[in-house]
Amino acid sequence: MLVLTRRAGESVVIGPDIVVTVLEVRGDLVRLGVRAPRGIQVHREEVFLELQAANRSAAGEPSSEALDWLSKLGTKANRPPS
Amino acid sequence: MSGDSRSDDVPVLHFDEGLPGFPDAHRFTLVPIGADSDGGLFRMMCLDADVQFVVAAPPVFLPDYAPEIDDDAADRLGLATTDDAITLLVVTLADPLDQSTVNLLAPIVVNVRTREAAQVVLRSDVLPIRQLLVAV
Repeated sequence: MLVLTRRAGESVVIGPDIVVTVLEVRGDLVRLGVRAPRGIQVHREEVFLELQAANRSAAGEPSSEALDWLSKLGTKANRPPS
Repeated sequence: MSGDSRSDDVPVLHFDEGLPGFPDAHRFTLVPIGADSDGGLFRMMCLDADVQFVVAAPPVFLPDYAPEIDDDAADRLGLATTDDAITLLVVTLADPLDQSTVNLLAPIVVNVRTREAAQVVLRSDVLPIRQLLVAV
């Protein structure tokens, strides 16, 4: 891993068009600004990893039992409240 | 996949970047679960890879769900107005089934005019990635 020391207000450039700027350092919190082109999504790592894991556990062919349950749930949810 | 006649009749969603965890899954079709699409539940099946999801339409299950899509995501999907967007929530089936969850933090956002789609992480500290489907 490349390690660089930066002060508040200083930046690093990644590739031709991504700039990460240290905006503020206060105690153990560092505020970063990220400037990246359209199409580059920037995520907090832990959120992205959790989303990947959630998608992996969601993917798969539903069993016939699950499809049956879902279709009943859909009918129930769609029924206007009495 | 010109040999797949179903893909000719059913709209194909295009995920330019795939989905987190599935970067190579770009084209999906939606197939209603149950009699028709009024039930708000669909199988979202990939045409590029052996990947499929169950997704839920918020109007049926969560009428109050009104995610705020940031400008960057709206730009990427070419969304000019919110009327052009629909959202779908990824369902994780569980055993037992009544423990199944939906992902409210990262809805799939679809531009209904262009069929461009992406799973968008909302800027929220309160929306869960796993919310019980039966409780919503």
